[in-house]
Amino acid sequence: MRSSTMPLFRRAFVDSWRSTLAWAAGLAGAILLYLPLYPSIGGSVQMQEMINALPPEMTKALNYDQIASGPGYTQATVFGLIGFLLMTIATVSWGAAAVGGDEESGQLELTLAHGVTRVQLVLERALAMCLRVVLLAVLVFVLILALNDSAHLAIDSMHLFGAAVEFAGLALLSGTAALFVGALSGRKSYGLGAGAAVGVLGYVFNAVGRQSPDLDWLLDFSPYHWAYGNSPVANGADWASAGWLWGISAALVLLSSLALQRRDVGS
Amino acid sequence: MEPAITVEGLRKSFGHREVLHGIDFRVQAGTVFGVIGPNGAGKTTTMRCLLDIIRPNAGTLRVLGQDPRRGGPGLRRRIGYLPGELALEARVTGRRLLEHYAAVSGPVRPGRIDELAERLNLDLDRHTRKLSKGNKQKLGLIQAFMHEPELLVLDEPTSGLDPLVQQEFLTMLQEVRDRGQTVFLSSHVLSEVQQAADEVAILRDGRIVTIATVDALRESAVRHLRLTANGITADDAGALLGRVPGVGGVEVLAKGSGVKLTAVLEGSIGPLVQALAGLQLTDLVLEEPDLEESVLRLYGNNGNGRRGNGSRRREPQEEGSSHA
Repeated sequence: MRSSTMPLFRRAFVDSWRSTLAWAAGLAGAILLYLPLYPSIGGSVQMQEMINALPPEMTKALNYDQIASGPGYTQATVFGLIGFLLMTIATVSWGAAAVGGDEESGQLELTLAHGVTRVQLVLERALAMCLRVVLLAVLVFVLILALNDSAHLAIDSMHLFGAAVEFAGLALLSGTAALFVGALSGRKSYGLGAGAAVGVLGYVFNAVGRQSPDLDWLLDFSPYHWAYGNSPVANGADWASAGWLWGISAALVLLSSLALQRRDVGS
Repeated sequence: MEPAITVEGLRKSFGHREVLHGIDFRVQAGTVFGVIGPNGAGKTTTMRCLLDIIRPNAGTLRVLGQDPRRGGPGLRRRIGYLPGELALEARVTGRRLLEHYAAVSGPVRPGRIDELAERLNLDLDRHTRKLSKGNKQKLGLIQAFMHEPELLVLDEPTSGLDPLVQQEFLTMLQEVRDRGQTVFLSSHVLSEVQQAADEVAILRDGRIVTIATVDALRESAVRHLRLTANGITADDAGALLGRVPGVGGVEVLAKGSGVKLTAVLEGSIGPLVQALAGLQLTDLVLEEPDLEESVLRLYGNNGNGRRGNGSRRREPQEEGSSHA
């Protein structure tokens, strides 16, 4: 029918290379800043003493309880905090922009007037987002692996791979939540709110749920805890939880396409 | 031959507010059809329904023989669409954007994009969001025209274009009609459409007030009359003109030994010419029919009579006036 395949995917992916590159630089910067410091901070006796002096609630909330090991340090700093934050912001902004933002700016109307279906549009743009997330996760995986020896992290590469899969799945969940609400409402801000809520509430539920057995039911509602509850950098991924993260993300993409299919655009 | 567009009983509500109250019209294939109406009349909503961007609450739509709800990408590839509020904020050049839409809705003949850009005088290598409103509009026109679609749906196509480019656009319209393509376009001013359109629908508050050919509109339109004559008193001249069918708004000024008179004429010019034959005319101007004014009356009061005695005269258009 056409000579070029998946034009919407290619446009969404290729035209956002600046943004992808910027997030990649941010993630790489964070990794290169944190991990080489492990031998002097995380692994040091003083650091452990300092952590021990902190209130246990605080170390649990920050996931610093295992910071004295290389995998624990990497889990807490890169996957659990700065990487999680950067990736979530990236995917939520991409997800909210993919349909809701495009509609609000008025450009979706023109694209939909061309030879595409709405389902195709959502799927191709979600695929572009997914590919960017995977690329960033690969970057994180490769950089940590590269620093593994020099920073004395002693991370098992299979466990690291599992952690990267969880990391990508967790970010994707926020991103697809933003995509879905954006596609449902046609509003970028609603999408941003929904994606941010998934990320922030997941983090908060994890931090609070870890404080006492009375509150640990909160952990069941925390995607953050699904992904990182068993410290995947140290212990390998919980593949069932990774399946949930990726599966729910996929379901949200399908729901997004149905939501857009059923409503007026730009009204 | 089946009409390019058939609309029957089209209704559309947003929430509880109905904006289209049952619209009917047909656009014959190979013609240029203009829809005129003030902002908020429902022009854009009608067009969006044709493209399946929004869905009607009631009514039957046929576009190029298909229901837009079911036609899908195949149907939309046969249509070129220019949205009324064209937003092009992407960080890509005009050329890349056009190549993207060509990949989606193509094929586009090689060289076609450059040819159109040259005609409209647009630099394709600038980022779209840095383009002025007029240049964005040109880009929008190119993406609508480039794949030579059977049907062009253009929402306020001339908005933001300078007069020279507007003229070029009108030429492009003539060309596509000569090739057998159909054009459905909207405007809030008739003068943009009257040169290009075969038929005009006037839309107001979600209803079609009238559908007429431009010639028919022209016949029903008012013409402004100015004359100076010698050897007649102001009273006599006023009475003479007042008796002519279709003449109204007579204003007479005594001028030297004669009069200076203005009036408006609605309908045929025959009786007027006969009445004027007996006068010693020193000057006579009977303007081109002012379609704008007749359309404004249709908007304003549904066509029940002319405004009071020339109380709100538009500036006469010197261009196109016919000196008799």
